[in-house]
Amino acid sequence: MKILTNGSKILVKATLDAGINFFSGYPITPAAKILETFACKSIENKDLVFLQSEDEIAAIHHAIGASVGGNKSMTATSGPGFSLMQEGLGLAYATSVPLTVVNVMRQGPSTGMPTKPSQGDLLQTQYGTHGDYKIIVFYPNSITEIYEYTIKAINASEESKSPVIILLDAILANLYETIDIPKDKPNLINHKLKFGTSNRHLSGLVTDKNGVPKTNNFNVYDKWLNKKLKHITKVANKYDFYEYNKNDNNKTLIISFGSLSRLIKNRGNYDTFRPITLFPISPKLKEISKKYSKILVLEMNKGQYSFALESFLKREIKTISILGNSLNPNDILEKINEKI
Amino acid sequence: MKKYKALKTNRLPFSWCPGCGINIVTMHLAKYFEDNDFTNKNTSIISGIGCSGRFAGYFNMDTMHTTHGRAIPIAEGLKLSNPKLNIVVVSGDGDLLSIGLSHLIHTARRNTNIKVICLNNSIYAMTGGQTSPSTPKNKITTTSPQGNPFKFINAYEIVCKPFNRLYARLTPLTKKLFYKALDFAFKTTNFSFIEIVFPCYENDLRRYGGKNPMNALRTFSKAYSEKGITNKLENKQLGIIKNYE
Repeated sequence: MKILTNGSKILVKATLDAGINFFSGYPITPAAKILETFACKSIENKDLVFLQSEDEIAAIHHAIGASVGGNKSMTATSGPGFSLMQEGLGLAYATSVPLTVVNVMRQGPSTGMPTKPSQGDLLQTQYGTHGDYKIIVFYPNSITEIYEYTIKAINASEESKSPVIILLDAILANLYETIDIPKDKPNLINHKLKFGTSNRHLSGLVTDKNGVPKTNNFNVYDKWLNKKLKHITKVANKYDFYEYNKNDNNKTLIISFGSLSRLIKNRGNYDTFRPITLFPISPKLKEISKKYSKILVLEMNKGQYSFALESFLKREIKTISILGNSLNPNDILEKINEKI
Repeated sequence: MKKYKALKTNRLPFSWCPGCGINIVTMHLAKYFEDNDFTNKNTSIISGIGCSGRFAGYFNMDTMHTTHGRAIPIAEGLKLSNPKLNIVVVSGDGDLLSIGLSHLIHTARRNTNIKVICLNNSIYAMTGGQTSPSTPKNKITTTSPQGNPFKFINAYEIVCKPFNRLYARLTPLTKKLFYKALDFAFKTTNFSFIEIVFPCYENDLRRYGGKNPMNALRTFSKAYSEKGITNKLENKQLGIIKNYE
């Protein structure tokens, strides 16, 4: 059935279809629509627990607690709230608690430009909490994709036993489009962690298998961390999604993602690569990038993805920064043509 | 040392300082759990950070040692997600009354059915004896070398009184009163708060020439008087305020 809906509402529909039954959050524009939609859904759906937390720190920890209790849980926020949630992301990672976090990005740092769209939280998803860790990040670019990849993200989180982040931006959260919702029920993965059944001890400390703290033993830490990183890489490879359009003769590859990638779609005869799984960076890109003498990244920040790509591909990457709300397609195409 | 079923006996002895009140509280709670059929099928303990953070790991049930101050929201999420579980939060005064104070107040306001045990030694013990929000005025600590200039927080006044929630103030030596408070707490479906006050010997009293931790605990407790079940507690009074009906 075809329906007309917006990014926030379709996200909530997707999460419910993926089996989410706990949502906690704190009001922040432009993510508040998700919070409101969950509040309404929890009235008709008695299995869905909705909690408006006292702040974003509480929101992510409420979601962690719910996940530990055996339910699929999530929270949604925007940049300033996402900064507050970093502590919880680290805890969920260390204790292997599946959790989905939606970040509807807005222009920062701090209160920034409320609430213009942005892609400024890309590196915060990877380096926001302390210590070494890896988090799978999805960034869809249409209503249909939000539905599809939200379900995939929740499955990835359950499979990796770790937090997963869905990035949106202020444009996508409010964008109206039609979507043909698939009739078939999606394949779902459910975690087995449920308190009240065993003698587990989860701890943010480095512990051995039995939950005994081993804070003086680097071998235990090393083994644990490598095993964890390996597992997440393995799951991430299963959930490696991208869109690659090539035309012959082009020497430049243009990389863009999220709402910004919509602006160059079907405009100009470019070779484009659009990561949907933003992090970890697709291993396929190593092969693809070899064909091009120049790589241009179009992003709504001062070059965060270029920075990540440079260290990944070990070569120079050019950036076109589009900041704030300056999203005129003609200006952007002009900037691209200048750099090609 | 009695080996209660509720404890992970292979993890004994405790990592806490000998003679600390927290050892005594752990044994009291383990006995209470054993006597009243609190098992890994119906109970879970969540603890925060610091000395009290290690509390959860000794219990023979699904437990979680969380980050600083966040034991309460995790416990609340767990309770809402799994309402049949009895959830006990064991945390310190720094955890509950400083960094996690807003969580504590809001969870008391929302009346989530969790039981909070606050192990209050009126100091940040594991980090070396810094001033906490429950440190008495004028007390000298490592971060207030000229004496703490501020009034301490009264947990009853700000957490329990405004929302009519069960409150108890005890010491590790008031075992009977502790069990009575736990009985009340588990009988009601309300949020309950049990504060257990005791001194930190290693990072506080020893600096003032203390010689024996058990004697220090006895001397500390003698300054308190027991009121039993009451509707008002002054400073230096122990008892249970049961005002949730």
